[in-house]
Amino acid sequence: MGQLTQVTIDFETSHLLFPTIIACVLGLLGLAIVIRDRAKIATAGTYWSGIWQNMDKPRFLGTIVLTLLYFSLMVPVGDIWPNTGRGFLFCSIPFVFLTGLLFMHERTIKSILPLAVVSVVGPVFVWWLFTYPLFLTLP
Amino acid sequence: MFEILTPMFLSLIVGGTLIGIIFGAIPGMTATMAVAVCLPLTYSLGLENGLALLLGLYVGGISGGLVPAILLGIPGTPSSITTTFDGYPMAKRGEGEKALRIGIVSSFVGGIISLAILWLFAPTLADFAIKFSYVEKFLIIFFALTVMAALSSDMLLGIFSGVLGIFVALIGTYDITKGGNGNMRLVPPGTEYWLDSGFSLLPVLIGLFGLAAILEQAEIGVPKGHSLEDIDVGKKSGFSFSIFKGQSVNLTRSSLIGTFVGILPGVGGSAASIISYTNAKTFSKTPENFGKGEPAGIMASESGNNGLTGGALVPLLSLGIPGDSTTALLIGAFTLQGIQVGPLFIGNNPGTWDAMIIAMLIANIAMLVMMYVAIRYFALVVTIPKHILFPVILMMCVIGAYTINYGIMFDVWTLLIFGLFGWLVVKLKLEVAPFIIGFILGPSAEVYFVKSLESFGDVTIFFTKSWIAVVLWLLIIGSVAGSIMLSRRAKQGAGVV
Repeated sequence: MGQLTQVTIDFETSHLLFPTIIACVLGLLGLAIVIRDRAKIATAGTYWSGIWQNMDKPRFLGTIVLTLLYFSLMVPVGDIWPNTGRGFLFCSIPFVFLTGLLFMHERTIKSILPLAVVSVVGPVFVWWLFTYPLFLTLP
Repeated sequence: MFEILTPMFLSLIVGGTLIGIIFGAIPGMTATMAVAVCLPLTYSLGLENGLALLLGLYVGGISGGLVPAILLGIPGTPSSITTTFDGYPMAKRGEGEKALRIGIVSSFVGGIISLAILWLFAPTLADFAIKFSYVEKFLIIFFALTVMAALSSDMLLGIFSGVLGIFVALIGTYDITKGGNGNMRLVPPGTEYWLDSGFSLLPVLIGLFGLAAILEQAEIGVPKGHSLEDIDVGKKSGFSFSIFKGQSVNLTRSSLIGTFVGILPGVGGSAASIISYTNAKTFSKTPENFGKGEPAGIMASESGNNGLTGGALVPLLSLGIPGDSTTALLIGAFTLQGIQVGPLFIGNNPGTWDAMIIAMLIANIAMLVMMYVAIRYFALVVTIPKHILFPVILMMCVIGAYTINYGIMFDVWTLLIFGLFGWLVVKLKLEVAPFIIGFILGPSAEVYFVKSLESFGDVTIFFTKSWIAVVLWLLIIGSVAGSIMLSRRAKQGAGVV
């Protein structure tokens, strides 16, 4: 019994010990969940189609697309003026404006105007704050 | 001790509390989100000033949730859910301002009682924890994860979420500075450059609590903001402190429940307020009035959820284990300043410890004064349009993620990955809090586990090392058994109904 519980750890492979144990535990827990919830999993298609049907697709997918574009363009735009943070500034202004427009319910001049002001003032203020007083480089 | 009270320190607490109240008062935004968004601002503030801002946000964020809970019947934060039960009926009968003031004073009482417990118990617990070896430290983490999973709405999914968090945290190099061998693991081919140190904590947290929350709102169409007509604070206050007569037991009990719930890792403010409310109703002489506008219900709910604030800091500052999601973010603030929280923190950083206690005290006083005096104006916060707020918050999330490691774009992509993951987690009925705690504690758990085995060469050491290890195992078994019993009882109850 004493020998059964004894363990020798090879330092060279010690980085794999804990991840292997955790992966095994995760696998066992996953299996237990699959067995317990097999009925629910069998009808998962209905659950996901319900989520898809009830989702506000333009706003949800639009947020993801705008965010992807925002992140993708920030560095290439920033590379035009290196180490100035202008990539962040010039991408944030349209991002804030377009996302705000996407989230807006009644798009009237009266509601678009404050958004336009915030989408310029907000990024400019944040860019100034991080670039000058805080000395943090933005893309 | 009082040299910390500079105008900067004070204004950061007051400013943080104010912003926190605003975040808490807007449904869909939380104290956690407030801390996540403002975290990058703490870079150049220094540790004490940075913590002053974040603790103000924390106290304000938890307290602000009562505004929409009472005026609109919508909890501003999950922890205000039971405030709606009696606050909203009071507002509907024209006693909105009275209900708000009851909530504000109760929040203050809860915050102060929990702060006193933090001040008294955290150093004692830390002194005790200093004696722990790797074995006890591993068991403490194991116990924390078990308690958290046991208190999840579904224990199996809760444990799975916690273990998944540990697994994700192990991605990258086995850190040499912590005694590892410097080799990489769990890194997909081609991603070694970005995942050398794994996923950074703060982009993960900002993604899970910032972007994911906005995606959830986008999914439901970003509900329209409320108009001025929706808010009825009432024509006159009608509030008097005499309403608290005979309620000292309720307030103290609820504050202590909130503090205790806060000490349990990963259990949120909603549990604190629900348990406090249920107890207040059980022990009340007029339980039939609860849910119809009973002031004692608001007192229990608000003192309970603010009791969480000090409680959640006890395990963080004494053991290095965050008590809830927001205190998990505070670990980020310490990391930014190169300080590790754990049993040695209070002893090695007495100045920071004092600053935190003072900041929490001032934040609670600032919350009381600002909300009590200007509650009619804070009520207007719920009318701020989300189509303006959310894009600005998204932009702040990007800054937070990008600046965390001084300008790494992969951290921004991490934010997106974990934002989408956070949205998916909710759909899969997994639990975010156990995932986060697992993610934070995973690397330490690995070091303690492997080093224990390297040192002793026998797995029985986890059971035989000391009496503390035995007590911890008993607590682990007790928490799992208790959870199974409660779950069976709930099922039987449902069957009877």
